Amino acid sequence: MDLLADVALLPGEERVTDKELIYICPFSGALKGKVFITNYRLFFKSTEAVALTLDVPLGVISRVEKMGGASSRGENSYGLDITCKDMRSLRFALKQEGHSRRDIFEILSKYAFPLSHSQPLFSYLSQEKYEENGWSIYKPLEEFRRQGLPNERWRITFINKNYELCDTYPTILAVPYRASEEDLRRVAAFRSRGRIPVLSWIQRDNQAAIARCSQPLVGMSGKRNKDDERYLELLRETNGTPKLTIFDARPSVNAVANKATGGGYEGDEYQNAELIFLDIHNIHVMRESLKKLRDIVYPTVEESHWLSSLESTHWLEHIKLVLAGAIRVADKVSGGKSVVLHCSDGWDRTAQLSSLAMLMLDSHYRTLRGFEVLIEKEWLSFGHKFASRIGHGDKNHADQDRSPIFVQFIDCVWQMTKQFPTAFEFNERLLATVLEHLYSCRFGTFLFNCESMRELNEVRSKTVSLWSYVHSSSTRYLNPFYTPESGRVLYPVASMRHLELWVSYYIRWNPRIRQQDLWL
Amino acid sequence: MEFSEHIRTANVENVVLRQPFHPSTKGTLCITGHHLIFSDRESQSCRQVLLLLRNIDAIEKSVENLLGNSGLLCSARWKERAPGPSSGTLTIKCKDLCVFQLDIPGMEQCLNIAHSIEALSSMDEVADMYPFFHRPHDASLQDQWGLSSPQHQYHQMEALQRGRWRLSSVNGDHTVCPSYPPTVLVPRAISDKALLKAARFRQAGRFPVLCYHHRKNGKVIMRSSQPLTGANRKRCQEDELLLQAVIDGSDKGYIIDTRSSQQAQQARMTAGGGFESKSSYPGWTRLHRQMEKGKALQESLIKVVEACGDQTNNMDRWLSKLENSKWLYHVQTALSTAGLLAECVERDGHSVLVHGSEGTDCTLLISTLAQLIMDPACRTLEGFLTLLEREWVQGGHPFQQRCARSAHSHARLQQEAPVFLLLLDCAWQLWYQFPLALGFSENLLLRLATEAYASDYGTFLCNSDRERCAIGVKEKTHCLFQALLKPEERGLYSNPLYESTELAIWPSVHPQSLQLWRGFFLRWSQQGRHLEEAHDEMRNMICQWGRLAVR
Repeated sequence: MDLLADVALLPGEERVTDKELIYICPFSGALKGKVFITNYRLFFKSTEAVALTLDVPLGVISRVEKMGGASSRGENSYGLDITCKDMRSLRFALKQEGHSRRDIFEILSKYAFPLSHSQPLFSYLSQEKYEENGWSIYKPLEEFRRQGLPNERWRITFINKNYELCDTYPTILAVPYRASEEDLRRVAAFRSRGRIPVLSWIQRDNQAAIARCSQPLVGMSGKRNKDDERYLELLRETNGTPKLTIFDARPSVNAVANKATGGGYEGDEYQNAELIFLDIHNIHVMRESLKKLRDIVYPTVEESHWLSSLESTHWLEHIKLVLAGAIRVADKVSGGKSVVLHCSDGWDRTAQLSSLAMLMLDSHYRTLRGFEVLIEKEWLSFGHKFASRIGHGDKNHADQDRSPIFVQFIDCVWQMTKQFPTAFEFNERLLATVLEHLYSCRFGTFLFNCESMRELNEVRSKTVSLWSYVHSSSTRYLNPFYTPESGRVLYPVASMRHLELWVSYYIRWNPRIRQQDLWL
Repeated sequence: MEFSEHIRTANVENVVLRQPFHPSTKGTLCITGHHLIFSDRESQSCRQVLLLLRNIDAIEKSVENLLGNSGLLCSARWKERAPGPSSGTLTIKCKDLCVFQLDIPGMEQCLNIAHSIEALSSMDEVADMYPFFHRPHDASLQDQWGLSSPQHQYHQMEALQRGRWRLSSVNGDHTVCPSYPPTVLVPRAISDKALLKAARFRQAGRFPVLCYHHRKNGKVIMRSSQPLTGANRKRCQEDELLLQAVIDGSDKGYIIDTRSSQQAQQARMTAGGGFESKSSYPGWTRLHRQMEKGKALQESLIKVVEACGDQTNNMDRWLSKLENSKWLYHVQTALSTAGLLAECVERDGHSVLVHGSEGTDCTLLISTLAQLIMDPACRTLEGFLTLLEREWVQGGHPFQQRCARSAHSHARLQQEAPVFLLLLDCAWQLWYQFPLALGFSENLLLRLATEAYASDYGTFLCNSDRERCAIGVKEKTHCLFQALLKPEERGLYSNPLYESTELAIWPSVHPQSLQLWRGFFLRWSQQGRHLEEAHDEMRNMICQWGRLAVR
């Protein structure tokens, strides 16, 4: 019996090996069956009465370990433990004879962590073809034009066309009209990794802008930089905001601590500016928080004190802070005031804040295509370090750079869709699909840390975009209740009372927790 | 009694109404025998408030003198005050959880108004209550009252199971059991004389009666109060025979006791109550599932409402507070005990008797939920209302005692307990988990949650059928259930996504599957309003698609 007949292999997907083993299912117990490994996935099918299949893209695997030894006693005590990035882990038991697991362990390690074995990621091997080319969803100039740019106050600059000004920024940037290229270069010297304040979004009627950047390089000695000060002044003048608001996403303590490593925040020398800290914690705190959440939901859900356990993970509290920060940004901007956002490097919390605020302010981003553009623009082109945060194809599971910042953003979007069930063109399935392929390595979309790296690795020409796939059956991702209404600013309520855990995502592996699905 | 005795000031001009998330408005306040009326004729929005005084749970006064020193209850958010030499602020907290403030010019007028509200909102003479005065133009007192009758249920059932059951009028004049309707369904083999004896052996005369009959396997749910075995382990042959007749001698049955076995023992030893012992009821197996009721439940409601209304520090410990209120724990216990009951009947094919002590609270809660889980006929709009009428109104839930006060009241707790509210919450959890399987909408549950505490209709008046008959509720008031089923109301109260399913809907009772019923508990918050609007919008869309599909 060829169980592989159950899986439709993707074009370019190749069968590598198969093996009989036992899946230790946390819900139904030990199940005999057969596992197939391809260069893209691990597929398991039980040969017992309990029909169960697992279909796991190798990209979600963060760690493969050997469990037990040749002399381990007890049933099913010898095998493999597989930890995944998507909240679950898998345990397989094998017969304790003749190094039965050696091959499969090596194959799994090689195909789950291709970059650590100098092999290409599956997205480079995939031969999938789609009608629409998702890579052309986002055209920076077109997006600026939609926002009414360039105009007499903002200009488009190509100063970064060879990534010389800033290697983690996109090539096309919008900056205050009166700032010269020379000004930009001088400002870049004073901003961490050259991430100068540039425009993310502008409100057409009052020209209030959201600009994003990294922290200023103030350092212990409290350095000043006249060019940076003048540049922010130019930015303020674009719409005559009396006081430019600088939102520093960090807790103030952290911002101060950053001075020790050469960073810092804008002080009183920035006239006509106010600085507000948003108290959002760093990537390490978020990683630990999600880890705690995982501990209480997988494999078994902590039941006896569920709510206080959930509270002690602080996950919802972090969600609340991120949303609350974005609301403050959106509120300023809709009130006609320009704002500047940064954190330390400006690629984690800054991306969360700018994209969520834009989602609140601009109904275009609440459409399916608009949302894709938002991710392409604020996350991908502005260098959220997807490769470092997710660790695609990398065996180093304990890397301190890993963090679920993007997952947290998608969770925030989900909270918004719950609070405004008719305001978004896309549905929950889209959000879950985006997260699935954040890890899967089937598409090139989330690979690498920034645009320059994607260009270097020819992602656009050699891999398929996730959006090509989404658009090949876009109706699956549409919200039937969507009611377009332009111009309305959506302010979600960022109170703990109104946030809930995204159970159908975080606890989706638990078969006991399923709700009647509205979209089926 | 004359209402006017209590009304010293009937009208006040220039009153300011403040409610969170609404602009303050100035208008005229008027107190009548049953209502608080506020209308603001100046502004274009023209806000009108018509509130049943009965809906008011608590009123807090804060009087301000010339110097502007405010009283105790000045919260930071509502600092700006009405102008004028002296004025007072009344904070009105309603049983439907709405809270608003009235700034009333003139200290004396303010105190007069407060006095009237206090006196009129806590009247306990049923015949003076508003349902006896409510005369909607589109209904007549001659209209049918109620949706169903035991006779009707009997005829439906008789068709399926000829001969095993009968209608008994032993309670025809409500003397055997004041909280039962005049006719009840009992095993055919048991005579009225035997019923009389069984009734004497059960607390408050609530002998085992049939409340549900499974159409496919013929098994039944019976309910009763506890047997009065007492410390001497008294027995009652008629009661034993009655239960024996239920399981027909052959197979076995389950007794779900909503108390723990210790509680049941204690009731036997100290209060003359008890439980069915294995030796006296050989065919029956007892399962004890402890469910909180009474004071514990009321206190839980107070805590959850307090946590929801706490505007001050919003970050902190909300989830712990929610957990500590134990409200969701009560929801979980109710749903899982109902699940157990449904499992016994639907999956294992056994008949079940349910009782706790009085058999008028948790007993009704789980028998109702089990029927909702098992029976598609109970999940339609009419079916659900009929179920509520049968189990709760005819079944003798003491609404007047249980719903006299709600979560805001400062009055000492007496017999209050939000058992019916807990039922509605559990029904909402089912609705949330199975958005297509129930024929009614969240609006219906919200409406019922309000009506149970303060209503224009007579349905939830009194504590029992006997009391209702004595003061002529059915002759002198209108029926809520009939009103909810009027064609013009139906749209609002039915679920446009409803698709009938024959299958049982087994709820998930894991804590992470249970949600706070935000629609109710956070109804008056800003978000509540957004969501209500969005849901209306969605309802309209679905209705429109429905019309298009028909074309």
